[in-house]
Amino acid sequence: MKWETVIGLEIHVQLACESKIFSSSSTKYGMPQNTQASLVDLGYPGVLPVLNHQAVVMAIKFGLAVDAEIAEKSIFARKNYFYPDLPKGYQISQYELPIVFNGSIEIPINDKSMKTIRITRAHLEEDAGKSIHDKFDNASAIDLNRAGTPLLEIVSEPDLSSSEEASSYMQKIHQLVRYLKISDGNMQEGSFRCDANISLRPLGSNVLGTRAEIKNINSFKFVEKAIEFEVERQKAILDEGESVTQETRLYDSEKNETRSMRSKEEANDYRYFPDPDLLPILVEKDLIKEIKKELPELFDQKVDRYIKQYSIRKVDAVEIAKNIDIAEFFEALIHHFKENYQQAANWLLSELMGYLNKENISITDLTITADASAELLQKIHENVVSTSMAKIILKQLIETNDSVDEIIEAQGLKQISDRGQIEAIVKEVIELFPDQRDQYLSGKEQVLGFLIGQVMKKTSGKANPKMVNQILLEKLKENRRR
Amino acid sequence: MTVKKSDINHICDLSKLRIDENEISTFTKQISDILNMINELEEADTNEIKPMAHPMNMSQRLRKDEVMSNNDRDLFQENAIDSEDGFYKVPKVID
Amino acid sequence: MERFTLKKLIHMISQREISSAELVSIYFQRIKKYDHFLNSFITLNQESAEEQSLIADKKIQAGNYDLLTGIPYASKDIFCTKGIKTTCASKMLENFVPPYDSTVINQIKNSGAILVGKTNMDEFAMGSSNETSYFGPVYNPWDLERSPGGSSGGSAAAVASGIIPIALGTDTGGSIRQPAAFTGITGLKPTYGRCSRYGMIAFASSLDQAGLLALTAEDIAIFLEAMSGFDPLDSTSVEEPVPQYSDSLHNSIAGKTIGLPKEFFNNSLDTESQRILNQGIEIYEKLGAKITEISLPNVGYSVPTYYVVASAECSSNLARYDGIRYGYRDDNTKDLDDLYRTNRQIGFGDEVKRRIMTGTYVLSAGYYDAYYLKAQKVRQLISNDFEEAFKEVDLIIGPTTQSPAFNIGEKIDDPVSMYMNDIYTISSNLAGLPALSHPVGFFDKLPIGMQLIAPHFHEYQLLNFCHLFQQETDFHLQQPQAFLDD
Repeated sequence: MKWETVIGLEIHVQLACESKIFSSSSTKYGMPQNTQASLVDLGYPGVLPVLNHQAVVMAIKFGLAVDAEIAEKSIFARKNYFYPDLPKGYQISQYELPIVFNGSIEIPINDKSMKTIRITRAHLEEDAGKSIHDKFDNASAIDLNRAGTPLLEIVSEPDLSSSEEASSYMQKIHQLVRYLKISDGNMQEGSFRCDANISLRPLGSNVLGTRAEIKNINSFKFVEKAIEFEVERQKAILDEGESVTQETRLYDSEKNETRSMRSKEEANDYRYFPDPDLLPILVEKDLIKEIKKELPELFDQKVDRYIKQYSIRKVDAVEIAKNIDIAEFFEALIHHFKENYQQAANWLLSELMGYLNKENISITDLTITADASAELLQKIHENVVSTSMAKIILKQLIETNDSVDEIIEAQGLKQISDRGQIEAIVKEVIELFPDQRDQYLSGKEQVLGFLIGQVMKKTSGKANPKMVNQILLEKLKENRRR
Repeated sequence: MTVKKSDINHICDLSKLRIDENEISTFTKQISDILNMINELEEADTNEIKPMAHPMNMSQRLRKDEVMSNNDRDLFQENAIDSEDGFYKVPKVID
Repeated sequence: MERFTLKKLIHMISQREISSAELVSIYFQRIKKYDHFLNSFITLNQESAEEQSLIADKKIQAGNYDLLTGIPYASKDIFCTKGIKTTCASKMLENFVPPYDSTVINQIKNSGAILVGKTNMDEFAMGSSNETSYFGPVYNPWDLERSPGGSSGGSAAAVASGIIPIALGTDTGGSIRQPAAFTGITGLKPTYGRCSRYGMIAFASSLDQAGLLALTAEDIAIFLEAMSGFDPLDSTSVEEPVPQYSDSLHNSIAGKTIGLPKEFFNNSLDTESQRILNQGIEIYEKLGAKITEISLPNVGYSVPTYYVVASAECSSNLARYDGIRYGYRDDNTKDLDDLYRTNRQIGFGDEVKRRIMTGTYVLSAGYYDAYYLKAQKVRQLISNDFEEAFKEVDLIIGPTTQSPAFNIGEKIDDPVSMYMNDIYTISSNLAGLPALSHPVGFFDKLPIGMQLIAPHFHEYQLLNFCHLFQQETDFHLQQPQAFLDD
């Protein structure tokens, strides 16, 4: 029996609002336990929710970016269940009338084609607090700082057919919410969480099988692995002629397996009903128009523009635009350095990103400005410094407060591009190493590298490598003619 | 209409209540009586009527996204019988 | 013992006939002397009240004070009062001290009035007799074996006996009007959204409203101005300007029309009550109003509609009471489920449990459409009936209750019979309309009330009609015998 995989993803995105969705507490991450939990967040007797304007705007932004319909009228509903991290004993969410519905997004598959994934809905809701089970010996610790943080829950149709597609979709949504600046997408901090609903069905069937839900996957790699494991697990069950239990499971990344969550009561009846403390959200057409006008350029548009406007290679444009922070840095860089956009792209991708990756810091933590980077690029472009010198300057720029010029001066890093100077040294080296000269002349071309190395050594690496190469060849040829 | 004891037990599960054995019959009868009274609603003709969302025909007002610090953890936790180190404590939960 | 009206107290203060400190002292003496018969107070705020009265007196002496400066009042123990125990008459909140004031309390504080204490009520406002209180029942000052009504029984008994001039109450299905009728005083439930619900412990969110119990419409008019108004902390609060209710009290009602719903006057009342009510209606006619019959065809469904909606909302509103962040918490629980169930079993009384169970049932899978959705549709029908009626008439009049105060213990074991007490009052909560009850006569020496219902935000009209009625009659001046001596 051949089985077909059917996957739907539910992604919870924490919205980048200053305050919570129904209260004015701060949403700042990492504060001491329960210092950002107001009476409203704690579900004290008598308190009431009031909706954050920005959360609505951000939801609409998302809806417009995925070509979805924005509900003229949407309703908040209570999802009733008991858990210590849910202070009111219900979560304020949206049920029958979500604010965004009927959208779609294209994901790349196989590097060549695109697949459309339908987005059933995206709705607003409040986040719960956190329970920590290893803080005390005989108790679980509850921290309600996170309770009330605005969430946008994005639900896809079960249009995903493989773990790779699921990962691709998850990455695409992640990129989108960062582009729209509605979330920082920080998976380590819980700003972006994914639940996967996975089921199998006989190939060709259009009836959905029983699904299992895997909760709280927080990386692209894990979503792939979790799904792969789960598919195999379900296959094994179905091949035996047994049926899959509809249940909630957790992915264990250390053991690379999914397992059933014992504490979740599967038969939970949430008894949704419209929250009587909140009124219907009415979205005016004018507001939608305004937000649409201010939508930022999205990934596909940006890649196109880089190619058309800056003549950058597609593969580089994609690499830069993948991350909105890098794209913005790049755009600031080429605002100051307009000589050669491709050169700027190359430098950014290999030199700057190389440094950042090695030191394991992100571009937003970078202390140098696009200005300073442009200055450095300018020096490279004019051949004032060699690429290897530029590496040293970059490090200095990041680690000190000095300017590009100051560093070049102080370290004497100016590249030697003076013909006369180089010729003199080349002559010297050729005289110093007659054997190697002879070897080269008799056909052993790889010896050239050694000779270049010697010239570079004599100039402490500062000679313009291209010129050295060129002049060395010239002089060697002259030697031959003798 | 009669509600069964098993219904009462199920409702108690959902609402985290507990009724002692010796009271279950009383509660079952009382809830049945209440539901009987409620069942009169069936006779009302609500064809074409939309459910009332609110007594006032209003829409939700939106609050400006700004932080107003109104948190006083120590004061609030004076009301919590079991808290430690700023956390609220509950019997250990195993996931 | 003279029952001072708010108006009289304000006059005495302005004439320097009495100081705030003396006033506060007089009321605490009365409370000490009479409240053990009534059990109308749960918590007294004596020390703070005395301090505040001294501050009030300084302001009064300096000539720099407001209308309500130094005037004592009581609050139903459902309004959060910072630093003062707020119990909702439940074991669940027996020791709960809110770290904040409800908006209404805060507004009244700013107006200068002084909180004397928190009054007894039905637990979590669920009841019509003040018999479900964890702190024991309240007794009707007209006959101590009878109920004062509920859930604002404590506020009603305290005002009726004269041990407090005015008190805050809340009304979800009649909890201000019915006790007012049973104790021979005046009670007002304002339009839904008129007064803030922030800090008012929630029972049924779409029905609850803060209101007042006092001796006269005039007193209510004065105090209502202080406690009404838009609150940004309450999404259901309405941005409707607050008029000077006192200004329109004396307006003539000649030419106004009063509608009498035939569904309210068809055999549900006994002949004597009917006769008393008719006399009351004649007085309005004498004052110039035209009486006409109207129909509210769906009003008969009020009680079942209410019990679906109110139970559903309360079952969810009371889910937060788990003992984890505040409230009753048992020492000895073995796991999380046990914690929840034990705290809630011990913390909640039977009526509260019944309503939570009913509410959970009507919202549960498979029943939502038949019950909750259906009830919200019927609610719309009832609301539409009123809207139609108010196209024809300015005001609607009816009985407040089916009978005068019943004996304590008479109905407590039969929930449905108890629920029928609210048959006349519930529909105005469902439609969000303002409604008032005032004394209209006596039946076997027990007070009877008459109910007035007005369109949204027409409280001024209710107070106007009632005030004129109270100029023509003296039912509201009758005092329970036992509390006449000093």
